[in-house]
Amino acid sequence: MSARPSIGDASVPTGHVPAPAGRAQSPAGHAQSPVRDTPARPDPVIRLDQVQVRVGPHALLQVEGLTIAPGERVAVVGPNGAGKSTLLRLLSGAVATRQGSVRVLGREIGPQARVPLTRVQWRALRAELGLVMQGLHLVPRLTARENVLIGGLARLRGLDAWRGWVRWHRPEVRAQADAALDALGLSARAGTRADRLSGGERQKVGVARLRLQQPRLILADEPTSALDPHAVRQVCAVLRDTAGAGTLVSVLHQREVLPQLATRVIGMAGGRIVWDLPIDAVDDARLDGLYRLSGACRAEATATSHVPDPVGARPANAARPIVHPSKESHP
Amino acid sequence: MFETRSVRPGGGGGASATASASPAATAAATALRAVPRERAAFAGLVLIYIALIGLCLGTLVAAGDLSFGRSPWQNLVKSVGEFARPSVLDVWFGPERLEFRSDDGALLRVENRRAVETAFVAAVGRATWVTFQIATLGSLLAAVLALPLGLLTARNLNAPRPLAWAANGVLGTARAVHTLVFGLVLVGVVGLGPTAGILAIALHSMGTYGKLYAESIEALDMAAIDAVRATGATPLQVFFNAVWPAVLPQFVGNHLYVWEFNIRDSTILGLIGAGGLGLLISEAVSLFQWSRLATLLLVVIVLVMAFDAVSRRIRKALL
Repeated sequence: MSARPSIGDASVPTGHVPAPAGRAQSPAGHAQSPVRDTPARPDPVIRLDQVQVRVGPHALLQVEGLTIAPGERVAVVGPNGAGKSTLLRLLSGAVATRQGSVRVLGREIGPQARVPLTRVQWRALRAELGLVMQGLHLVPRLTARENVLIGGLARLRGLDAWRGWVRWHRPEVRAQADAALDALGLSARAGTRADRLSGGERQKVGVARLRLQQPRLILADEPTSALDPHAVRQVCAVLRDTAGAGTLVSVLHQREVLPQLATRVIGMAGGRIVWDLPIDAVDDARLDGLYRLSGACRAEATATSHVPDPVGARPANAARPIVHPSKESHP
Repeated sequence: MFETRSVRPGGGGGASATASASPAATAAATALRAVPRERAAFAGLVLIYIALIGLCLGTLVAAGDLSFGRSPWQNLVKSVGEFARPSVLDVWFGPERLEFRSDDGALLRVENRRAVETAFVAAVGRATWVTFQIATLGSLLAAVLALPLGLLTARNLNAPRPLAWAANGVLGTARAVHTLVFGLVLVGVVGLGPTAGILAIALHSMGTYGKLYAESIEALDMAAIDAVRATGATPLQVFFNAVWPAVLPQFVGNHLYVWEFNIRDSTILGLIGAGGLGLLISEAVSLFQWSRLATLLLVVIVLVMAFDAVSRRIRKALL
């Protein structure tokens, strides 16, 4: 976690249009190819290369390159409409792009993939990907415990998988769910239906679900937004614990949460990565500057602030590209 | 047609006619402009509706069809008087020796009203059971038949368009044709009896079920389902853990609702020979036996209200 490849800083010319010639492209052909000086480094968990996500003429996201190594704790900060959520959705496969290369957990899910992922491969990828999305929707009629148990479904094998269908889990599995709820102070609410929980409690249940899922990569979009200070500490502790040796990428707005969930901070504005720094180098002045930058970006991409949600509101279904790449000629 | 169409410009015409002075005209114009389009459109709809009511009433009166017979009050009082004493009371309070005599006083026949009415009540009991059978089996058959059609018509499931259209057409036809009409046709096909009633109920309710199925599927919270899918669960796990729990209470609620509706419907199916209470009702009406009709109506009311209470309780528990 000490030496991390820092890429995509503000010096990248913004007018540059990445144009990987056609689909058959060599991965080494890029100047920004994130091959760095640490040979012992394992394969990156996330590698983005010349990625653009567009809705019509508006670029929601333009990333020249981004690499995240296993075990990293990364926070993405930036003003509203900076493309943070779009970035997470891109990584989770909810948003498709036709430009650039997207590698997540060793699989190419971008347009560079020679063969699109099969359903089974997608499922395997999703099982390793833990999501905490904004307004995470629990199944309203199931209890908190049952919602948490859903996280473990993909890990169940044999007879247990069959029992998972009818929500008749073994006591050991149920105990895991109860432990996960207990870690978040929700043990008293385990039997309460999800639609009778408060907003903060639902958010916690979403995090508890992650704990049963045991993903290798966690993508958390504002995991602490609806929580009180005590609950923020609880959720952060559980997230850190759940991530374990895995990777944690979170979108954060609260400054005081940054050190709890991140050792590396990526600042975004106007759909671009503005800076990418270790947590020690991030101070209030830098953050303020980032948020002020949004005013300038907003002027050139007005629609951006409105569009992100409709894009990601759709399922993680990459077979149907939701975002159409625009013409290359757009500046 | 012309009348209804002339209504819309009528509003504007009135405003301009009163505005003889130009400042007043501009004031009226600005006032009109201040009214939002939707509201103006709604006002137009209300005017069209009023005109339609006027048209219906006017033509009825003009044709002389809006009459209440020769002596409506006397008839009403007489009928109500007989209704007030349902025949079921005769089981306990009827005369045990009711003598029928000819005009010259010769004894024709002696009837034990209590025995006769007891037999009638037993017949009503059997007919009620048949009615219940028709409604129950018909509803179940309809629910089963409608399931695939409902799945095809639910828009968020994205069934192939031609199939969706076909399913929609079938469901629409089933809804449009009344149970009694289906019954009349089916009595000709499968003969008199409850089978025709069951099939008639099934064919008509199928349309209702299909629509309700499609609506509850369309109302699903897809985001919750996607969240379950995002954990890497298999399609069947997703179905049983996210879709099923959300849809099942609605399906059960729909089923109880339509079932309840069908109990009401099946009470008149006997009118066309499809068995059940309706046969007795038509008999009582044809013979002007209002007291027996009162008994039958009491049974229908109790049956429907009891079922209503039970189904409401179950539906509430499912919420």
